[in-house]
Amino acid sequence: MAREFTRRLGRVRRELTGVWRVFRRNKLAVVGLYILLFFLALAVASPFYAAREPMYEPLTGYDPEILGSHPPSLKHPLGTDFLGRDILGQIMKGSQLAFAVGIIAALTSVVIGTLIGLISGYFGGLVDSVLMRMTDIVLTLPSIPLLIIIGAAIGKQSIWIIVVIIGALGWPSTARVVRSQTLSLKKRPFVDAARVAGSGHSRVVLHHIAPNVLPLAFLYMTFLVTWAILTEAGLSFIGLGDSSQVSWGMMLQWCFTSGHTFRAWYWILPPGLSISLLTLAFYLIGRGLDEVVNPRLQER
Amino acid sequence: MKTNGKVRRYLFAVMCASVLGSMVVMCQCGGSQLPLLGRKVVLKVGMQEEPSTLNILNYQSVWSGYVLGRFYRTLYDEGPVDFEMVPILAESLPEYDAATTSCIVRLRRGITWDDGVPFTAADVVFTANMHLQIKIPSLYYAAWEFIDRVEALDDYTVKFVLKTPRATFFSNTLLPDNFILPRHRWRSVVEDIKFTADPVGNLMEYQPNVPVGLGPFRFVEWRRGSYIKVVSNPNFYGRGLKLKGLEFGPFMDEILYKIYRNTDTAILALKKGDIDYIWWPIQPGYLDELKGHPDIAVTTNPANGWKFLAFHCNREPFSDVNFRRACHWLIDKDFLVERVLQRHGQRADNVVPPVNKFWHNPDVPVIGKGMTKAERWREAKEILTNAGYSWVVPPEIREDGAVTPGKGLRMSNGEPVRTFSLLTPTADYDPLRAISGTYIQQWWKEFGIPVNAVPTSVNDILRRADPTGDFDVYILGWIRLPIDPEYLSTLFTSRQAVKDGNNTSCYRNPAYDALAAQADAEMDREARRRIIFRMQEIIAADVPYITLYAEDVIEAYRKDRFTGWVNEPMGIGNPWSILTIKPVQPR
Amino acid sequence: MTFWHYLGRKLFQLALTTLIIVTLIFFLFRVMPGDPVKTIIDPQMPPEARAQLRAQFGLDKPPVVQYLIFLKNAARGNWGVSFFQQEPVFRIIMRKLPNTLLLFTSAVVLAYLIGVPIGKRIAWKRGTPTEAVVTFVGIFFYTTFLPWLALIMIWLFAYKGIPLPWGGVLQLPLRGMMTPEIWSDPAASALTKGLDVAVHLLLPLFVLVLIFFARFMLLMRSSMLDTLEEDYIVTARAKGLEDRVIMNRHAARNAMLPVVTAMALSLAFSLNGGVLTEKVFSWPGLGTELIDAVMKNDYPLAQAAFIFLAVIVLVANLIADILYIFLDPRIGFES
Repeated sequence: MAREFTRRLGRVRRELTGVWRVFRRNKLAVVGLYILLFFLALAVASPFYAAREPMYEPLTGYDPEILGSHPPSLKHPLGTDFLGRDILGQIMKGSQLAFAVGIIAALTSVVIGTLIGLISGYFGGLVDSVLMRMTDIVLTLPSIPLLIIIGAAIGKQSIWIIVVIIGALGWPSTARVVRSQTLSLKKRPFVDAARVAGSGHSRVVLHHIAPNVLPLAFLYMTFLVTWAILTEAGLSFIGLGDSSQVSWGMMLQWCFTSGHTFRAWYWILPPGLSISLLTLAFYLIGRGLDEVVNPRLQER
Repeated sequence: MKTNGKVRRYLFAVMCASVLGSMVVMCQCGGSQLPLLGRKVVLKVGMQEEPSTLNILNYQSVWSGYVLGRFYRTLYDEGPVDFEMVPILAESLPEYDAATTSCIVRLRRGITWDDGVPFTAADVVFTANMHLQIKIPSLYYAAWEFIDRVEALDDYTVKFVLKTPRATFFSNTLLPDNFILPRHRWRSVVEDIKFTADPVGNLMEYQPNVPVGLGPFRFVEWRRGSYIKVVSNPNFYGRGLKLKGLEFGPFMDEILYKIYRNTDTAILALKKGDIDYIWWPIQPGYLDELKGHPDIAVTTNPANGWKFLAFHCNREPFSDVNFRRACHWLIDKDFLVERVLQRHGQRADNVVPPVNKFWHNPDVPVIGKGMTKAERWREAKEILTNAGYSWVVPPEIREDGAVTPGKGLRMSNGEPVRTFSLLTPTADYDPLRAISGTYIQQWWKEFGIPVNAVPTSVNDILRRADPTGDFDVYILGWIRLPIDPEYLSTLFTSRQAVKDGNNTSCYRNPAYDALAAQADAEMDREARRRIIFRMQEIIAADVPYITLYAEDVIEAYRKDRFTGWVNEPMGIGNPWSILTIKPVQPR
Repeated sequence: MTFWHYLGRKLFQLALTTLIIVTLIFFLFRVMPGDPVKTIIDPQMPPEARAQLRAQFGLDKPPVVQYLIFLKNAARGNWGVSFFQQEPVFRIIMRKLPNTLLLFTSAVVLAYLIGVPIGKRIAWKRGTPTEAVVTFVGIFFYTTFLPWLALIMIWLFAYKGIPLPWGGVLQLPLRGMMTPEIWSDPAASALTKGLDVAVHLLLPLFVLVLIFFARFMLLMRSSMLDTLEEDYIVTARAKGLEDRVIMNRHAARNAMLPVVTAMALSLAFSLNGGVLTEKVFSWPGLGTELIDAVMKNDYPLAQAAFIFLAVIVLVANLIADILYIFLDPRIGFES
């Protein structure tokens, strides 16, 4: 048992080293990785930053000595918002939330997309046409307008509900790719062999096909994270966000509605820049991984 | 081939350059320096929204009033500054006779409609009968349901006969929103729709192309989503009249209502001189910037309204008045005013705001003003302990004023208080209420009251905010309350605690109901005032609402363009200002 | 199969999809928590008046009945009356639709005209620093947070303004699509009015073009890179043909096909940007109308605005499908 585990661990390590070797060659992807690590560090540091004094608590803390929004100072490296709340602290907290939003939404999409792609590709026929027609329809729905309507339909603006809906709308691209991959895998000899050997459908799909499409699904996840973060921020920005959470989109919304848009650069620049940089990072990493998954691209 | 390409490219470049060039010219001469306006005096007003239609009966929002209210007039109005009733189309104050429950209104002579037809008692009777027959829900019930009939005694005398005495006759029937319509224009419209299946709907959908009125301005053009243009009425009867030291104009040739969807763009337009006044209150965030501008003046006026928190009094634990009182003590209104409103507002301690001088009861007790957290906690703890409440971990107040949070509040029967939701508006609707909700949640939680603040779209709060609706506690606000506090009879009486009623808290108190009925029927202002004072005290003691704060109305206008704005509790954007402001002579 | 058969099938699919979307949206709006009658907040309004209003809006009937009535009327071009503007929804939509199409199509066309040639050239120059920088810039705009970018643009061009070499500051207008002083002046010529709209269009267009251009460029670049590895390009090179000829005639033409497909697929996605841009710049289009209507609980208007936005995407997809046939010589129909 233990030996089996070590063996597997070794194989995973070897594979990862291989992935890293290819990935490393893409300079932009490495830059993306650094940006990602930077925001990860901010997210991890957030609780420690906030715990120093009650006024650094990102949502309800405030500097009692300050009234109104103030430019950067030693005490508040990025200044404060109109309530006297520390902006750096909010950026750090927002970073935590952005990772959570991006990853949960993307995971939801990828799980749905992979399942639909696998079922559609493996069973074919009527199931396939119905599922693919559905995919086409969802793909042609403009997602932000739809989310605006759904967001209004729910009424309660909880960030986690918004995130799950974003996830539930993002699956078509994954489904399409997984389906075509499944179609080609289905014709491979090892799948036939497994079926001849008496494996049931679920076993064939889960043990033989799914492991082979997972890297591709994972790749799509990085792109979906980009999409999810941008979408959540967009919704918050136009006023459909969760005001009980400190997200970057919400920070922009606060700045906007409290009348500081063109008056406080230290308040409006950081959140927007953070959103753009983090999504950039995920996108660059996605491109880097793309080369790993699709070896033909490595030459570029 | 190659030359061809070059020629094409050259032409393309020239085209681009000329288009860009003309655009640059356009940009530079945009706004106030446009030569096209000539010598005309134009008041340019920034509006956030526009009216829904040109049909004055379809009065959906303040924006309708801002525009359509310039074309029509009412019999009386609330006078400038002190809100005392002043005659407008009437010549003198109404003469009410208690014995016959009837009222005589004498009309001003020599007024004509825009098309030259004289204004007479027939117009007033027509308008009244239309309301009595068609019953437009938003206008009828408060103003006409208690009217028996309206008749013309002669061309300039009208008699209103009431079914029962009703105080709102003065504040609603004769006052704002009941604009008198020209009979000769509207009679055929009303006749046409009177016997259709849906007379109200059809009357609402009626769209006059050019409204005919008798007000200070006439309609010219409306480009939806962009602007509305009106010109002053040369035959306006009020020109040169004087009232309380104000002289009436209008002293301008045109008003151009320009629609700006958000404050940022309107502020920029004001700074550039593209508009003279922004007709909506602005956030304090803009103040610093505007105060530095040499040509912009900022005014601050208190609001006749408040933001409030409402309990569902049919549900536990809010059904216990002690619980509501303790919740009230835990809210630090001073903090909300100081921190959230940044001192641009007042505490709201009474359902009739102090700016409403005549009706405000100054003796209503004030909760927690100027007190420390420890002091307020002590009060709240005492109330709850006396009422039999207990805690798993009681909140502690030490001698030095420090406090330690409590946990797990239990009701007198030993059951834990269930976790309830505090519905707060979203940040885009009102950032201040959203953040206030977050703080209130924190204050209650510290004290061991299990509550979650839930940011909820205003539409959803409004739907739930019904006596039969599903909510625990919500935060909303009344922005423009009527001067006569008739709302005390609708917001808190038992008869309104039914589906679609206004008593969303389901507050029931027979003694209060009796007082309300008495106040409704009291035609004597002083006597009514005494009853209203008593009602304010009951509401303050029973806390179906916690009034939180009132934001000041901050407005900005160009002082190099017009002068003489009339300050009122709701701001300078009132009909009196529009009638009396004068252009500033260029230096 | 003839072209007409193909077109017929596509049109049928379009109609079916529209019906599905209409149904979906209709019922989504019925579960919406708002009650338009409740948004009329007036302490003077008694219970019976609210009930009366609800009946007036037809909201007292069961949803399925409302749905059937809606379908019947929609087919006749009667989309109901907006709760708040009290105007037929169809008329409002028709007033806003051209504005959205103007902004959106001009952005797509401009982005295409700029993005595709640049994508083509940088693919040709792969491995050079220029390529790396341009690609990075493209990716940056592609992943940038659009409303924020729009705000920065407003700050720079409309708020601060650009100092002009001959003195003065050039400030672009930042509201809506027309200057009331110009449009309400009876003496203003059509040309002046047109230029006025063009000036208002500049900023939102600029922001949208930046984002779309990045997308076109990146797509064209990667498609071009694929094509350049094809055998016939290698052959053409071996034959010693001029670089420009190979790039434009041989490679670019074939690289265009995947770009068209990919663009069609991402139209819905681009429309998201369009809606946000409209909102930030108060551009009076369907997107702004949708957001405002949703906030005010104006179902008839909001659902129509959404349906029309979705139909724009569907029709654009159809156009892309047809374009594809003409671009790709390998697809042929028997005549």
